[in-house]
Formats: sequence, C-alpha cells, structure tokens
Amino acid sequence: MKLRKASWWLISLTLILSIFLTACTGGNSSEDPKETPGDDGKTEEEATGPQQGGDLIIGSTGAPTVFNPLYSTDTSSSDIEGFIYDSLVSSDTEFNPTMSMAESIDISEDGLTFTAKLKKGIKWHDGEEFTADDVVFTFSIPKDANYNGERGSAFEAMESVTKVDDYTVEFKLSKKDASFYPVSLSYYILPEHILKDVPVAELGEHEFNTKSPIGTGPFKFVEWKDGEYVKVEAFDDYFKGHPYLDTLTYKIVPDMDAMIAQIQAGDIHFAAGVPGTDIETVKSFPGVKVESGLGLSYTYLGYNQKNELFKDKKVRQAITHAIDREAIVSSVMNGDGKVAHVPESPLSFAYNDDVPKFEFDVEKAKSLLAEAGWKDSDGDGILDKDGKKFSFTVKTNQGNKVREDIVVVLQEQLKEVGIEAKPEIVEWSAFIEQISAPNWNYDALVLGWSLSTFPDQYDIFHTSQMEAGLNFVWYSNPEADKLMEEAKQILDQDEYKAAYADIYKMLAEDQPYTFLYYPNVHRVMPADLEGYVFHAKDDFYDISKWWLKK
Amino acid sequence: MLSYIIRRILMVIPLLLGITIVSFAIMKLAPGDPASLMMDPTISPADKERFMERYGLNDPVHIQYLKWLGAMLQGDFGTSLIRKGVPVIEMIMNRMPNTILLMVVSTILSILISIPFGVISATRPYSKLDYSVTVTSFFGVATPNFFLGLILIMVFAVQNNWFPTGGVATLNAPFSIWDRIHHLIMPAFVLASADMAGLTRYTRSSMLEVIKQDYMRTARAKGFRENKVIYKHGLRNGLIPVITIFGLMIPSFIGGAVIVEKIFTWSGIGLLFVDSAFQRDYPVLMGLTVISSVFVVIGNLIADILYAIFDPRIEY
Repeated sequence: MKLRKASWWLISLTLILSIFLTACTGGNSSEDPKETPGDDGKTEEEATGPQQGGDLIIGSTGAPTVFNPLYSTDTSSSDIEGFIYDSLVSSDTEFNPTMSMAESIDISEDGLTFTAKLKKGIKWHDGEEFTADDVVFTFSIPKDANYNGERGSAFEAMESVTKVDDYTVEFKLSKKDASFYPVSLSYYILPEHILKDVPVAELGEHEFNTKSPIGTGPFKFVEWKDGEYVKVEAFDDYFKGHPYLDTLTYKIVPDMDAMIAQIQAGDIHFAAGVPGTDIETVKSFPGVKVESGLGLSYTYLGYNQKNELFKDKKVRQAITHAIDREAIVSSVMNGDGKVAHVPESPLSFAYNDDVPKFEFDVEKAKSLLAEAGWKDSDGDGILDKDGKKFSFTVKTNQGNKVREDIVVVLQEQLKEVGIEAKPEIVEWSAFIEQISAPNWNYDALVLGWSLSTFPDQYDIFHTSQMEAGLNFVWYSNPEADKLMEEAKQILDQDEYKAAYADIYKMLAEDQPYTFLYYPNVHRVMPADLEGYVFHAKDDFYDISKWWLKK
Repeated sequence: MLSYIIRRILMVIPLLLGITIVSFAIMKLAPGDPASLMMDPTISPADKERFMERYGLNDPVHIQYLKWLGAMLQGDFGTSLIRKGVPVIEMIMNRMPNTILLMVVSTILSILISIPFGVISATRPYSKLDYSVTVTSFFGVATPNFFLGLILIMVFAVQNNWFPTGGVATLNAPFSIWDRIHHLIMPAFVLASADMAGLTRYTRSSMLEVIKQDYMRTARAKGFRENKVIYKHGLRNGLIPVITIFGLMIPSFIGGAVIVEKIFTWSGIGLLFVDSAFQRDYPVLMGLTVISSVFVVIGNLIADILYAIFDPRIEY
C-alpha cells in the first residue's frame, strides 16, 4: 500500500511539474499587453473608409530562420523582414523601382556613381532617427573582409559607400551594373546605432537577428515562438502612415494539408502559395476569398548537356515538339497556368515571346529525331543510335504534386515518339545535391525558377556558370554569352529590353530547357480584407494599407 | 540495489557513444546538405561554398564527428546551421516542455483507460464486454497514428469545431489552463491510442493468469470482497509483466511523438526533429539524438527499477 502511494506521488509530481514548465514558457505570450480589444466603439457611419484594428493570422509552411536581410536565405524570413524593415527603393506591381526611404536617386553620366537623397523624419522602432549613417553602415557590411553571409555577390560591383551629409549617401561602382539600382539598393537597412559596435564576423549570429530586430518598417517585432509563430504589431510612427492592422501573426504549419484544414477552421486567415489543385476546395470555405495572378516564375524540363543524348540541339527541339504543354497545363494543372516559350515571365518588362516556338507536333518531333540519326532499328518501340537506346530518367523533387504528375505525363507523351523517359522523384535537399555541381548526376529534370523582379539570365545560362554556378545543364553558346555580358552594362530599360529580346531568341532556338509553363499564384484571405493589391513577387505588398471591414 | 543501478548507469555510456557514432554516420551518408537548400540565383555558389567551409562541413566525416564529440563532452551542443547563431540546447529546451507534457499526459491517459479495461476484461472473460474491449483494442493497434490523427482533426476540428486543429495554445489569446487542455486532448489521445490497445491486451492476459492462482482463492476463502481480491491481491501481481512492457514502450512514445507533433503542429522536439532532418541541420539533429537516447535509456532504467520495487521475488 505504501509503495502504491509513493508511485502515485511520483506520477502526480511529474504531471504538475510538466504543466508548470509549459505554463512558464507559455507565459510571455499571454501577458502581451497589446491584446486587441474588439473595435466595438466604431459606429456604422464610419464603416466606409479604412478601419483601424484587427489581427491577421498568416499561415506558412516554412519556418523563418533569422531576421537579418544580409544573412537570411529563406522566404519565410524575408516575409517577416518585409514587415520589420524598409529599404531605399522597392518595386511597384510592374516591378519598376519606386522610392521608399530614398527621396531621390541620381545616377552619374558614366553610370558609376549613385547619389541617394534620404527622406527626413523616418524613425526606427526604438524612436531614433534614420540617417545616412544607417545606410553607410548597412552597405558596408557585405563589403567587409569578415562578412560571412551569403549575399556578397549582390554587392560585387559596389566599390564604396560614403556619407555626404546626414541625408545624402554616395555609392561608387567599379563597373557598370544594370542590377545595382533595382536589386542592391532594395536591400533592407539595418540600424547603425544598435549594431555599430558588433564585429562583422559576429553579426550573422548576433542576438539582434533573432531576439530583438529593430527596423523602420510598418510593424514592430513582438515575439518569436520557435516552431509556432512570429508576432509583430503596428508601428505608430511608420513614415508611410500608421498601419491599419493591429498585429500580424505569422503562424507555422507543417504542410499544405494542415494549412487548408486550418483555413477551413478559421485558425489561419491569410495564406500564400496554396496550390492551384486545392484552390476550388478553398474557395468553398465561408468567409474566405482567393486572389490569383500569374506568379513571377516558370517551370521547365532541363537537359543535362554533358549527356551525349542531349548534346544535339535538334534532339532537344524534337523533345519539345513531342511534349503537349497545353495538355499539361489544362489536365495536370486544371488550366492554372500559361504555356512558356522563354525563361522570362510575361510580367517582366523584358518579356518578349517573338522567338522560335516548338509547338506540340509529334510528326515534326519524329522527323527531327530521324535527322539527328535516331531510328528504331530493333523494332522494340524505342529509338536507338549506334546500339544505344534513347532512354533516360527524369528527376524531380518530392512534395510538389504538379511536378510529380508532370514527370509521369512526360513518360507517356515521349513514348509516342519512341523515347523512354523514366520518372524519378527525390527528396528536395538530396535532389539539389545530385543535380548541381560537382555531381550533375541526372539526365533530365523538372524544376522551376522563381525570377527576380530584375531580369538577368547570366547566372543560369552563361558558360562561366557551368562548373560551379547555376548553369547545371551545361548549356553553352558563345554568342549568347557575349550578349549577356553586354546586357549587364546597359542601364537604360528600353535598350536592356532590346538586348534581351535577342538573348531570348537564342535561348528559345537552342532549347537548353523545354520551357513548360508559368504557374499562377493563389493567395487566400479573409473575405472582408480590403486594401490588398496583387504583386506577383510580394505576397504582402503594401501591407500597412490592408484593413479589415467589420 | 544501489550497485545494480550504478552498474546500469555505467553501461549506458558505451551505449550512448555507439548511438552517436551510428547516428552521425547515417546522417552524413544521407544525400543532401544544408547549403543545397539555398538554391537561389541571387546567392552565388562561391558564397554557398564559404558557408560549408565556415561550419567545417567539408571536413572528413570522422574529423567532424570528433570535433562534435569533443564539444559535446564539454556540454556544448553547438549552434544551429539554419537558425544562425541559436544554440542547439536552447532550441531543444524551448521545445522540451511541450513534448514532456504531451508524453506524460498520454501515458497517464493510456494507463487510466487500459488497465481498468484489461482487468474488467479478465474478470469477465468471453463476455460481451470482453469482446468489445478486445475488438476496440485491435482497432487501436491496427490504426496508424497519423491516420487516426487526421480523422480526428477532420471530424472534431474542421467539421465540428469542438477542438482546435493544432498548436499548443490559441494564438492571440490570454493563457489559460483550460485552453492548454483543450489543445492537448486530441494529440494526447492519438499518442496514447496505440499503446492503450497493447496495454489492455497485456493487462488482460496477465490478469487471467493471476486470477487462477491459489493465493487468489485463499483470499476469497478468507472472506475478502471480490473487488478487494481482484484489485489488491490480483492487480499488484498482474501488473508486474505490464510494467516491463511499459518500459519498453517509452521509445515508441518518442517515435510516436514525432508523427503526432507533426500532424497537430505540436511544437515539441518531435516536430523540431522532422524539420531539422529536412533542413540537414546536423547539430540540432545530433543534439536531439543524444537527448532522446538519454530519455530512452532512462525510461528503461526506470522500468527496471520499478520492476525491482513491485516484484519482491527479484533480488539484486
């Protein structure tokens, strides 16, 4: 009897202890004083204009890692950085650079000096004023010898950054760089008055990045509960005006299925990246609306051009002819996308589809393959040449339902012209390691590129990027190389567009990839959310202007 | 007894060392690395290479292991590769209370439900009640955790809104014990379900054995009431084999927690384990391996000690 009593004691003690432990950690979230009161005070008459108040719960399948734009590499972190920080320039819905914290930016005749005038009266979340020192400080970090983040290449062309006066900063470039204005100047600015004494080597792992980020953006950091959520609240002194929403909670869910269940249950209000195949289901949920548009990305079938099979341009063109991309978009994706012909989104100013096109044409595909010397000499239905069969594997990453389906469809479609394409689905990190340098262990692959708002194909198609860069298909065309190098020096948008028109023609003709389609993006949000504007690249474009109708 | 416990604890050391070597090797043999996850045209391959270099990920595997072991023995589990600069131990300790809470509650739940059911089944074998307990427990064994979890979420959270779909507490709401319990019920039940079934079966067969014993008849002959005979004389003896089984179940609790935490977005070490595995966050994975191995080993140790306490026939 005594023993039993003792064991009961033990059990109850553990239970009490564990509840206590959890209660302790749960405590900080509960004592948040900014608990939103229901905005009952508002009357009906006021209901026409934007209303203050409300909490938006944003769902994400990815967990953030670090809130420092010079060190983060994942989408979730940059989503949250977008709430907390601000930049000198940003981009509008057509991806034209717009002034944010900069008043104006002047470019010198030779294109090597950029002078930024800053807006006055911008405040950091802790009340300090934003000045040229902050800009100089931020841009000096990636140029520091001790900088150990992954963003160095974005600032390669920048030679120096100097303060002219409290509201003027001068950037000097060592060579012309078309991407400096739209890309490098759009990096978020960090507070000099907080971080100036931190050695650059330690900056990437500093507490500031995870425990107390301070910015000039529309929302102030409140709390990060690892694996659960990140919470931010409206910053009263935001220079573009007080945000309408009181708080944003960025909630982390394990996968898309959980996300959809939580949207239905009302536990998540806003979600980006919901796949097109689920969108009809989501639309049927009460109190929810879906905004869709073309995303700034494309999906492709890439050929390993180290492989003998794909060295001949005719063969690549033939495969493109053999693939019914319209059918892929209409059946696999329920019509949720657009067939692609070039590696650039129709949303970009540089888009030009006046290029050679290889429409679905089985006969044409067969004759091109015959021209390239491929015949079915043993009558087994698969083409062969010099005793080698036209047979290869198509790899794609696990977890993307549409891509997984596409590799199966490709197998069926290519069988029609006598090509055996075997699907292989590999877990993401393993997949990337296999396909990229120094392994290049694949025949063909289905993958997508998310594009920058500034079009530049150098990293993906230039010959110099084969060995160690992102040109892991080993595409090489000296003429295209030359054009891409020249384009980097062009600062005028129209000239840049004209240069890229030629580059796209060459890429389309060579078919280093079969450009499959441009997918749509879908964002789920409360039916009564107002002020939302679709931006293909930024899920939370102008979030300080969003408001909830009560 | 004390020397037995000390001996047992000493045996744990080579065991844990072996576990870390095997885990480290498997982790490194698996394809993929943390730099691969940065596939982004705006990050140059040279920058990725520097990342690998900086964290010593290009060193030979045995060097990496020895460096890790050396630091670990000094109590340093390192910092996360993905959550730059955040100590592994801090990440684990943030999540640990949630996992402990889930495991303790589900354990108690499975004991509270299965042992009485097992005893009732045994005292009335081949009755309708016995059959229904048996059938239910077979369903419990046969239904995978993830499936049961999804069904419960679908029915009770999404369609009826009786329970939350996941998470450890309601967002943007003040802390309350009731809210905590509300969030805890479904995951704890799912985690308990598989073991509940097993425990019921073990209790039943073990009690059936005990009920036939002479000392039970003696007790009845002495005029004790039936309930007292069963629960005082019978149960204590009947539970001995159940305790052993229970100790062996602890590892499965940890394994089950990985799945349950993932389904219910229960932010514990199981969820951390899954996420870190996909991100190839090696220091976090190793930290978790060490800590969960310690848990398993301690679980077995406790089972052995309880065994010694409950069974007077065993001497050490």
